[in-house]
Amino acid sequence: MMTRNQSIIVDMERCVGCGACAVACMDQNDLLPERGETSCRRIYQMEYTDERDAVIQYLSAGCQHCDDSPCLIACPTGAIYRDERSGATLVDRDRCIGCHSCALACPFGTPRYDADDRMLKCNLCAGRVEAGMDPACVKACAFGALNFGDPNRLQDDKESRYANGLAGAFARTR
Amino acid sequence: MSRITRLTAKIPGPDTGIEVKKSLCAICDPLTQCGLDVYLKDARIIKIEGSAEHPFNKGAICPKGAAGRQYVYHENRIKTPLRRVGPRGSGTFEPISWDEALDSIAEGCMTAKSGYGPESVIFFSGYTKYFRPYLRRLARSFGSPNYCTESSTCFMATAMAQKLVFGAPGGPDMANTDCLMVWSSNPYHTAHGRGAAIDRALDRGMKMIVVDPRRTPTTSRAHIHLRPRPGTDGALALSMANMIIEENIYDADFVANHTYGFEEYREYVRTFTPERGEELTGVPAANIRAAARMFATARRACIMPSASPVVHHTNGVQNYRAVFMLAALTGNYDVRGGNFVEPPSYLYVSGKMKTREDEFENPKPLSELAPRIGSDRFPVWMEIANGEAQSMHIPEQLRSGKPYPLKCLIGFGMNYRMWPDSEGFLKSLRNLDLIVNADIFMTDTCRRSDIVLPACTSLERSELRCHSMGYVQLSSPVIEPLYESRSDVDIIIDLAKRLCPDDPLFKQGYRATLDWILSPSGLTVDELEKSPGGMFLKNPINPPERKYESGARTPSGKIEFKSTVLEKYGERPGFESLPVYNPPKYSPDASPDMAKEYPFILNTGSRLPMFIHSRVNHLSWTRSLRANHPAADVNPEDARRLNIAQNDGLRLSTPFGSIEVRANLTEMVMKGVVHMYHGWGSADVNTLFEGDYLDPISGFPGFKSSLCKIERIVEAAA
Repeated sequence: MMTRNQSIIVDMERCVGCGACAVACMDQNDLLPERGETSCRRIYQMEYTDERDAVIQYLSAGCQHCDDSPCLIACPTGAIYRDERSGATLVDRDRCIGCHSCALACPFGTPRYDADDRMLKCNLCAGRVEAGMDPACVKACAFGALNFGDPNRLQDDKESRYANGLAGAFARTR
Repeated sequence: MSRITRLTAKIPGPDTGIEVKKSLCAICDPLTQCGLDVYLKDARIIKIEGSAEHPFNKGAICPKGAAGRQYVYHENRIKTPLRRVGPRGSGTFEPISWDEALDSIAEGCMTAKSGYGPESVIFFSGYTKYFRPYLRRLARSFGSPNYCTESSTCFMATAMAQKLVFGAPGGPDMANTDCLMVWSSNPYHTAHGRGAAIDRALDRGMKMIVVDPRRTPTTSRAHIHLRPRPGTDGALALSMANMIIEENIYDADFVANHTYGFEEYREYVRTFTPERGEELTGVPAANIRAAARMFATARRACIMPSASPVVHHTNGVQNYRAVFMLAALTGNYDVRGGNFVEPPSYLYVSGKMKTREDEFENPKPLSELAPRIGSDRFPVWMEIANGEAQSMHIPEQLRSGKPYPLKCLIGFGMNYRMWPDSEGFLKSLRNLDLIVNADIFMTDTCRRSDIVLPACTSLERSELRCHSMGYVQLSSPVIEPLYESRSDVDIIIDLAKRLCPDDPLFKQGYRATLDWILSPSGLTVDELEKSPGGMFLKNPINPPERKYESGARTPSGKIEFKSTVLEKYGERPGFESLPVYNPPKYSPDASPDMAKEYPFILNTGSRLPMFIHSRVNHLSWTRSLRANHPAADVNPEDARRLNIAQNDGLRLSTPFGSIEVRANLTEMVMKGVVHMYHGWGSADVNTLFEGDYLDPISGFPGFKSSLCKIERIVEAAA
């Protein structure tokens, strides 16, 4: 059962930009690029040079399901709404009039529009989560870059990984 | 996505009528067959996920496998057997029945056999690989020594380099090692289960050295990243060895008791100081020293090789021998945490079980058959590779007709663009009387064939796979084969009825042959079919360490710093018995005149995460992950100097050809190197190579280092 504390959390240290999440999303939601539909997860390869060397960073980007969703506030028809059970920001596409107010409001560039100009974005796989499954993108990820759950529990996992690594390093040098 | 219901969310259950069946993905291959959960409604696939219980992928999936539904239902599937009606290459075909197709193929092969001998018929396997034992047996039963595969350009040369040093190849025991040295592999983009295993090992504190000219997710996780110029791996390994010997941090007991030729090797590496290493490879001497120390002083260290990057050089086998010798030098061969040897089980995988694969594949010994294609030119391949012909020699033999003519080519998943000078290879095929290709999709190679056969995907048939963790899977079809497509194995068995009707095993059919192959394992098809998602072996074979103590499988019985196999060819250039470093044939060091006009090193054929060769290049889901055109990677600094911007049109040329691509500016590629991905029909980078640009030991093409130039096309293509 979903609680409002659950969300998709990206661990940028783990993301390799493979795009499995993006394809899994298109498979789950029957999205076809040839119909002008994009995946609800999009992959970025960012490159920059720090004082020592060039660095390549990957990101799987998608809807943040913000607590104070600007898109929801901006939507004139109430098509964008908060799902009280999951806390997800959802779109009732039947009520969407294609005004793109949400695009103006969203600071992350998340909302996209299909051939009928109706807004298309991540629904947090609410139906899957309701059935006890992870969102399709999270299920696909091989490296733990995408996680679904309570942020504090995910931090616990990360911290214990770090602690175990330290223990391993001590064991080797003793 | 308007209303979310259990049906639209594809939740399995009696209320939705959606069921989940187990299968495996064979889009990429081998060692990396992911277990699949296939969601079906009304006998149609509606979604594909990774199986959580499968020990390789643990529920995850890569972008290629995730696109499996588009792969299965793509409109470019071959729907019926086809016979060419227009001139060869015209692409005009008529549908024929399976019997007509198989009868004509059999007639062509039997005519060639009676006129020119069975060796005039070539049996070739590209992807996938599960049917290979069957295809090899078909060739042998028919009487042809010319069974060959895409391994003529992939993996086999890496195995050869290991066999020359150790006798038996050893894989990295990542779970137990303290230091992993990945030598030019990027599993995060090619075999995610292996990448995830590295992450787990790093989490427990393992150190990692990565050698790779490119920047990748693997190199970004490394404690030390060494970036040699392409093709200089041997010089790098030799200078690491120099350092390890100079500092006396090698395993003196192992070297004294179990190796051959150490004194000559020590003498040879004496000149490869880290400073000279820096000069030859571009890797700073301090980094060479640090990596050598980290590797040699770890309690246990191992090397993770790659299938092709190091051996796709004209000096590839010698370079990789020098690399593998670092495991010998430090006593990390055939021990836990090192490069541990497990006997092969099935389809190149050491799966902790015994099968009769070898016996099945070789009903007649090679000694009773004519010499294989490439015998005179690649004697070391003939001696130590796995009994295949070296298919890189096919164009030469087709042109010369020597030592005997070739008449028929029976291909399964064959792609003519695999050959260097791919268009030249295609021209040489004119000398054949019959070209057959079985494939899933109507590829460029199918369009140039005489008879085309529709094969089905892994989801429409069954295949046997084992895994290094002692897991075995015999998949069952989750849907019926689409159209008139069939399993490759069924096609081979039906060809066998016509080509070698007396073969006692083929006569009994697929299940019986599998039971026969499996018999030493104690497993049966009946038992395996009960667990279509696979199962752990009840009694996995866990061999002891240090099996070389009773004699390594080299001619000397020792681990060889000096190869007694190569020694026999001492007078041939490139066959030196010590791991002598020669720069790649076309490189700034070896061909400085050519480098004046072609100043960039051309490096080709790395993998992108969403593509595997050209197998999923046509799917909109995978294509949507990358700009929809062939693009070459150029370092941003080189691009600035040449006034090249992102997506500019480029002419990429060598003295042997040129292609038009777009520029992709990225720090993944090092300065002075241009990297081009392979497998694009509209910009086939293999046309930029000569057909004989090959490593003389393995016959592998030098795809990963040649010389090229790039020019901006002023009128960028629309």
